[in-house]
Amino acid sequence: MKFFTDREICYADILPPSEVRARIEVAVLNFLKILTCADPAISDLLLINRKSSNRRVSQGLLTDDDTWIFLSRSFCKRSLMRANAAKAFIRVWKVMEMCFKILLQEKRVTQRELFYKLLCVSPDCFSSQLQVNRTIQDVVSLLRCSRFSLGIMASSRGIVAGRLLVQEPDKEMVDCSECGSSGYAISGDLNLLDRLVMKTDARYIIIVEKHAIFQRLAEDRVFNHIPIILITARGYPDIATRFLLHRMSRTFPELPIMALVDWNPAGLAILCTFKFGSIGMGLEAYRYACNVKWLGLRGDDLQLIPEESFVSLKPRDLQIAKSLMSSETLQEKHREELALMVQSGKRAEIEALYFHGYDYLGKYIAKKIVQANYI
Amino acid sequence: MPSISTTLPDLCRSQITISFHSSNFHVAIKIFNAVSDTGIGSCLEEFQDLNCSSIIAAEFWDGILSVKTTAICDDEIYHYHLNLRKNISSSRTLTRLPSNPKNGLKFSGTEVYLSISESIDVLVSAINHFFQKIMILNIPNIAIELVTEREDIPGSRCENVFLANKSNPGPLSTSNVECLKSGLEDYVLRHGNSLTQKCNTCFATSERLKVGSGIACSTENHKSSGLMMEVVVIISELESKCPCFRECSSKTEVLYFKDFTPCSISHSTLNVLSTIDWQSYGLTLENVVDQGVCVLEWGDSPSHSQIDMVLHCYHKQYPMHKTQPEQHLIKKAVTAALNNLKETHPGILRSAHALKICSHAPDLARSIAGLILSSNDPDFQGECFSLLGLESREIGANAVEDCIQEKIVSVIEMNDRKPRQRNVVAPSLFEDDCDQDSSYQDKEYEEGEDEFIYLD
Repeated sequence: MKFFTDREICYADILPPSEVRARIEVAVLNFLKILTCADPAISDLLLINRKSSNRRVSQGLLTDDDTWIFLSRSFCKRSLMRANAAKAFIRVWKVMEMCFKILLQEKRVTQRELFYKLLCVSPDCFSSQLQVNRTIQDVVSLLRCSRFSLGIMASSRGIVAGRLLVQEPDKEMVDCSECGSSGYAISGDLNLLDRLVMKTDARYIIIVEKHAIFQRLAEDRVFNHIPIILITARGYPDIATRFLLHRMSRTFPELPIMALVDWNPAGLAILCTFKFGSIGMGLEAYRYACNVKWLGLRGDDLQLIPEESFVSLKPRDLQIAKSLMSSETLQEKHREELALMVQSGKRAEIEALYFHGYDYLGKYIAKKIVQANYI
Repeated sequence: MPSISTTLPDLCRSQITISFHSSNFHVAIKIFNAVSDTGIGSCLEEFQDLNCSSIIAAEFWDGILSVKTTAICDDEIYHYHLNLRKNISSSRTLTRLPSNPKNGLKFSGTEVYLSISESIDVLVSAINHFFQKIMILNIPNIAIELVTEREDIPGSRCENVFLANKSNPGPLSTSNVECLKSGLEDYVLRHGNSLTQKCNTCFATSERLKVGSGIACSTENHKSSGLMMEVVVIISELESKCPCFRECSSKTEVLYFKDFTPCSISHSTLNVLSTIDWQSYGLTLENVVDQGVCVLEWGDSPSHSQIDMVLHCYHKQYPMHKTQPEQHLIKKAVTAALNNLKETHPGILRSAHALKICSHAPDLARSIAGLILSSNDPDFQGECFSLLGLESREIGANAVEDCIQEKIVSVIEMNDRKPRQRNVVAPSLFEDDCDQDSSYQDKEYEEGEDEFIYLD
C-alpha cells in the first residue's frame, strides 16, 4: 500500500521509437519557436534533478520489503547562457540528435558504441564515456523516456546459471544448469528479455557480486545440491541484469532473493542497488527494485575467516559507507552491519572462505539458507 | 578662438601669418579673424580671460598682444595693447592706442599681433599640430589659412589651408557631434592627420571604419550654462603592410577637447575612464598612462584592430560661466558611444562572456539542423522551415545550419547589449504542469555527485 507518493514520482516512460522521435521533434519545434518569436531567446533545458536532495523513498506501509527510491519534481537547468556550463547544454542536443538518427534507422547501440560515434562526429564536445553516460541520463530526464526507448542497449554483462530454463522467442529452450561455468549471458536488449519464457524448479535466487565466485559455484554445480538460480552482474548492477532479476521476481514471486557479497561497504552498496535502485539511473531508478536479502558475508561469518584475510578499509570504502549511512532506506540490521564494518576498520572478501577448502563455499551457502540466516 | 554660437552658423575666416625676421630673430605671428565679412569684431573680454602662461612660456614672449578690431558698424579700427603677463585679469593693463579711420569702407575683423623669440620651425610645427587636432572638431563654418614667410628671403611665402572636411563637406547645419564624427573619421583615415589624403593601403573601402557616438548633457541652471559631452569612438582595421602601421593597436590615445580647444585630460577624468566597465565590451583595460597625452593600454586586443577615441566637453552657451565638473557626463557619454557602436555593428565589442557562448553556436546549430533534416516527417520539417523563414527550395544542410546559427548569435548579442545586472531568464524547452508544484532549484547538476560510479 502506498499513499500519495505516486503524485510525486517522475516517470521515465517506456516508449516505442516513433513516440520518442515525436518527443524529440516537439523539443526541436519548441526550441525554434522560442528562437524565432518576437522576444527571442535560447531556451534552457529543464532536467529532473538527479541529486540526492531530490531522492524520495517509497516505503511499503506494511513491510520493509517493498521499498524503492525514485526521483521527484525538483529540476535543474542546463543553459547555453552560462559560459562554463554551455558545453553540457550542447552535449544534450548532440546525444538527442544521435539517438534520433539511431531510432530512425531502427537500430540499437550500447553506451560504448554511442560514445565512439559521438567522438567521431563531435570530438570537441565529448571526452569520456562517463560524460556520455551522464548526458544520456540528461536526455532521459528531459524527454522522460527510458534509456532503452532512446535506442540505447544495455551492455550485456550479466550471466545466469542454475535451475532455470529460458527460451528466447523463436529459439530453443536453454537449460542454464548446462551452460558450464560461463553461464547464460543476459542480453542487453530489454525487449528480448521481456519476451523470455522462463521456467524453474529452484527455491531461491542468489545474486553473486563477483564473477570468480559465480564461476566457482557454477563449476561445482552447487545448484545440484541446493535448488538455486545464480545470477551475477559481475560487479556494479547494470540495467539488463536488474531487469531480468526483476522479471524473475515477478514471474516467481515465491522465490526469496539473496545476495552474496564481500564484507565491505561496496558489497553492501551493490546489494542496495539491486534492492532500491540508484539515482544514477535517474528516472528509471524505481523500476527494477527487488526485495533482496543479505546472505553473506556478514558479521557473524567473520569467525570463519582467518585473521590474515582481513584488510584495512580504504578511504573510498569509508566514503561509500558514509553515503550509505545517510540514506534513509537502509534497514536497521544492515545499518548495524555497516557500523560494525566501519568500527572494525576492516574488510574481507568471500574468497577468504576458501581457507576451509574450495568446496566450503557451497556448504556455507547451503547451511545459511537452511538456517534461514539472511537479513 | 572666436566664440562659436550654436544657433547661427556664421562663416569665419582665420588667417595666421607667421613671419620670421632675421634681424631680430623674432617670429611675428599675426592672427586675423573675420566673422563673415559682415559681422562683429572681437570682444575684449575674451582676451582678458586668456591664461597666457599655459600658451607660451615667459622666456619666449613678453606677454604683449597688439589687437586691432572693428565691427561692421564701427567707423574706425580700434587699436589696443594688452599685457597678459600679469596673471590676475583685473591688473592686466589695457592700453588704448589711437584708432584708424575706415573712411567709409564697410568691413569687420580682428587682428592680433604678437612677437615670439622661438625658432620658426618649432612654431610652425606646433601650430600645424594644433590645427591637425582642431580639424577633428571639423567645424564646418571655419576656414583657416596658415601662411609662413621669411622676410629676408623673397618668394619664401608658403600657404597652407585647413578646411574642415574638404573631401566631404556637410551642410552648415550639421550638429557638432556629427562634425566630430566625420572629423575623427578623417583623422583615422589619414593616420592621425599626418597624411594629406586617406591611406589607401588600409582603407581602400570605407567599411574598415566602425563609428559610434554618444552624448551626455547636464541641465542648465542660473549659475552655469549647460555642459555638453560628446564622445566618438572609431574601431578600424589596419593593414600590416601599410608603412604607417603602428604596432600600438593595443593603445588608444584619448583626444580631449574642452570648449573647442584641444587640451590635456584632468586626473579626475582619467579616473572616470578607468571605472568604465570595459569588460562588458570585451576589452581589458590594463593601464591608463598620462604623460601629457592620455593613453589607454589594452590587453588581449585583436592585433589589427585600432581604437580611436575623442571626447569633447563644451558649454552650450557663450559666455561661459564657472566651469562645472564634467566627470559625471564622461562615463555616460563614453558608454553611450560604445553601445552605439555595438548596436550599429553587430559582432563587435562582444563581452568575453558572449564570445565564449558564441563559440558553441555552430555546434548547436549543426545539431538542430541535423535533427530537422534527418527527420522522415515532412510536416515536422515544413513547420521548422516556416519558423525559420526558409523557402523549401533553399533547403541545403548549410542553408538551414547557417540560418539557425545566425539567429542564435543574434540572441546572444542582443542579450549582451542588455545591462549586466538583469538576469536573462530563458524559457524552458518543455513547459508542463509539473513546474507548478516543483521547488525550482536553479542549480547545475554537479559532476561527481553520483552515489556510485555508473559504468553500465
